[in-house]
Amino acid sequence: MTSNVIGLFHDPESALTAAGELKGAGFESLEIMSPVPIHGVEAVLGKKKSVIKNFTFMGALIGGISGFALAAGTAIAWPHPVGGRPIITMPPFLIITYELTILFGILATVLGFIVSSRLPAFRNRVYVPESAVDKFVVTAPCDDAEHFKRAEAILNQAGAEQVRAMSGEES
Amino acid sequence: MSFFSRFMDGWRKYRKPGYYEEFDYHWTMAIDLDKCTGCEACMTACQAENNIPVVGEEEVARGREMQWIRVERYWEGEYPNAKLNFIPMMCQHCDAAPCETVCPVAATYHNQDGLNAQIYNRCIGTRACAVYCPYEVRYFNYYDHGWDSPLEQQLNPDVTVRGKGVMEKCTFCIQRIRQAKDMAKDDDRRRVQDGEVQPACVQTCPTKALVFGNRKDRESEVYQSMTDPRNYRVLDELNTDSSVFYLKKVDA
Amino acid sequence: MTTETFKLGYNDIHDDVVRSIVKTGPKYYIALATAGSITLLCFFFPWFYQLYYGIGAAGMNHPGVWGTYLASFIFWIGLSHSGTLLSCVLHLTNSSWRKAMYRSAEAMTLFSLVVAATYVMVHVGRPWFVHWAAPYPNQMELWPNFRSPLMFDVMAIATYITGSTIFIYMGSIPDFAAVRDRTSGWRNTMYTLLSLGWRGTDKEWHRLHWAYTFLAVLIIPLAVSVHSIVSWDFAMSIVPSLHQTIFAPYFVVGAIYSGTAGIVTVMFVLRKTMGFEQYITKVHFDNLGKLLLVLSLIWTYINGVELFTAWYSGTSEEYEALGYKLFGYYAWLYWEMILFCAVAPLLMFSTRFRTSFVPMLILSIAINIGMFTERFLIIATSLSRQYLPDAWGVYVPSLVEISIMVGSFALFTTLFLVFVKIFPSVSMYEVKETMATPKMEPLAPASGSPA
Repeated sequence: MTSNVIGLFHDPESALTAAGELKGAGFESLEIMSPVPIHGVEAVLGKKKSVIKNFTFMGALIGGISGFALAAGTAIAWPHPVGGRPIITMPPFLIITYELTILFGILATVLGFIVSSRLPAFRNRVYVPESAVDKFVVTAPCDDAEHFKRAEAILNQAGAEQVRAMSGEES
Repeated sequence: MSFFSRFMDGWRKYRKPGYYEEFDYHWTMAIDLDKCTGCEACMTACQAENNIPVVGEEEVARGREMQWIRVERYWEGEYPNAKLNFIPMMCQHCDAAPCETVCPVAATYHNQDGLNAQIYNRCIGTRACAVYCPYEVRYFNYYDHGWDSPLEQQLNPDVTVRGKGVMEKCTFCIQRIRQAKDMAKDDDRRRVQDGEVQPACVQTCPTKALVFGNRKDRESEVYQSMTDPRNYRVLDELNTDSSVFYLKKVDA
Repeated sequence: MTTETFKLGYNDIHDDVVRSIVKTGPKYYIALATAGSITLLCFFFPWFYQLYYGIGAAGMNHPGVWGTYLASFIFWIGLSHSGTLLSCVLHLTNSSWRKAMYRSAEAMTLFSLVVAATYVMVHVGRPWFVHWAAPYPNQMELWPNFRSPLMFDVMAIATYITGSTIFIYMGSIPDFAAVRDRTSGWRNTMYTLLSLGWRGTDKEWHRLHWAYTFLAVLIIPLAVSVHSIVSWDFAMSIVPSLHQTIFAPYFVVGAIYSGTAGIVTVMFVLRKTMGFEQYITKVHFDNLGKLLLVLSLIWTYINGVELFTAWYSGTSEEYEALGYKLFGYYAWLYWEMILFCAVAPLLMFSTRFRTSFVPMLILSIAINIGMFTERFLIIATSLSRQYLPDAWGVYVPSLVEISIMVGSFALFTTLFLVFVKIFPSVSMYEVKETMATPKMEPLAPASGSPA
């Protein structure tokens, strides 16, 4: 049963400094919770890879192919001569392809977001409501009491308004 | 045949404009405007043959007349030197019809006889085809008009009655064409002969101004008319490739 | 940003927005009841009457087969172009003045699209079969005709509605989480589900930022294509005054124009009724005013081009259509449209005008009246004068149509009133980003404000 140390900060800079020091002291699985996205997180916690762009690209590709396949396939399935046009016409079918490319791209992006951010997550997780209002929160799991004391000291030195402990399942 | 050659055959077939290699019949009408007196018997005949609802005075005053063929009248000059020109205008059954492309549910299409066919059951009433038709020959059922008893006894059983919300137009009396083709098939699988099938308007015209037939038959009367030097097509510059030819001697 | 926002803290915006959702006074219920009953009386009852008796209840005739229903449909789709398109473009350009108003603008988009979709069913002759326009496998083995411009419409609008819903939802997830913590009971359950367990970790913010940016990048070409496709319902016909290539840019510009005017109206109402005076300020109206001015100039230019090309072509049908538009039966509507959409917006050259709230409100409503007239005129004047003079006619809207038009505004208002009590109508986290916490400089660059 791991417990987590939670430090509440008044502004993002001190939160980032604290996180940097915690990481330097060897703590893993740090998380910074904030009401707004903070700039400069990647410099402290390391660059994140985003897989969402792969989802979007694959989605758009599949959308493009299915758009044309839908229009051309249904036209061939029941050839319906209209207006002296051929059965497979490019201008209309390319428009359908375009729309479906965007639709599938959008849906794939949402799927990518859900998959990569591991949401929805309704289990008990480490969370303090103040992080949604105006406090910047740094949290790290601690193995034992001595670990916890060290973390607490680092956080206090960095200027935390409050340090708490919370036990909870980490993801 | 290899997959590739089959694919290319299919590709060629589906990329051919108009899709048909050739029409089975190519029904055409020729209207001699020098013979037309503007009597409008064709309109009455069409109304009787095709179960066209009578919309009433009030609706006609609101601009909602319902007729599949109308006689357009154009005045020239002032009394006492006024000249009146008549043009019977019905669906031109264009081979490159603008109305067919726009129907979202595919309720109108070009069939193998060169006719522009309207499928009443499929029509959802978007009325886009009426907007796209440059001849304005498509008419919409704004109400369910119905027939007071006993007038429904005079309805033609070969033709459906359209409900409200459905678009309708001249079909070149497709029920008569169908009947003629069926009889020809039963009768030793021959082809329909010239003059065997006449739409109601053609049959009724007192001056024989309207002529109907299959233009693929080079001996037919309609082919002779359409190659007459007086021939022209209405709004030909729009490239609708219509199937109705008008004959008029135009003073230069 | 003005210096006022620096006096506010994160707490204040948080409290203000949560309060706007959770506290409802009698005025809200009265407004909701009024909007709801007008919708029922003016939109749904005449529509049911028309369903029973036929489209004849409307004023359409031969050749005027399209009328106010289609004009309203296009007007509502045009109105929808404001929110999402503006939001996406301004997101990609990192503008800070977008932050307070984009949530409501996106909601406007969504509800305009919903009203437009309902209008499709009012417009067609047999709405109980309108599902045939959707490509689904069926026993008849029939598919819709994808070569039709109306089918492009179906696909484009379906994509646009999906995209707009997803976009507004994704952007609101952090705000749902914030509201979740302050509510209890059924609201808490609803927001817990809606926020998907969002905690605001750096990883989640990072993912959200990328997903949101990709969505914005996808939605911009989509929005441009949607209204171009709607314009092609007209431009692909061979009716003399409709068959013009300028229609696609004309409609897109007109849509953004009328949509931005709609945003101005909605922002004014929101400020007054929800107590958002500090978040939606003169700066926003100033910037919206500049945008409206540019769009009105482009719109005037395109109108001029239309007139010029029609006149220059020299063909008889174009001359007739042009003369009819300017001097015919509907001429008074044409000149009213020019007055409201081309002449009146020139007032916005003055900064004083742009930063005064009530004049901007009046102008924005006038612009939308003018734009609705424009849609109506596109249909009525062109169908009245086509190629064959025998088939010329005049179309006059009937009472049923006018009532449904009024009802559609009430329907939109009802949906919007429900929205403000469920969604946080001002984006909390984005506005916080522009504010200062006492110890440091504002996070967002101040260059987004008017230089």
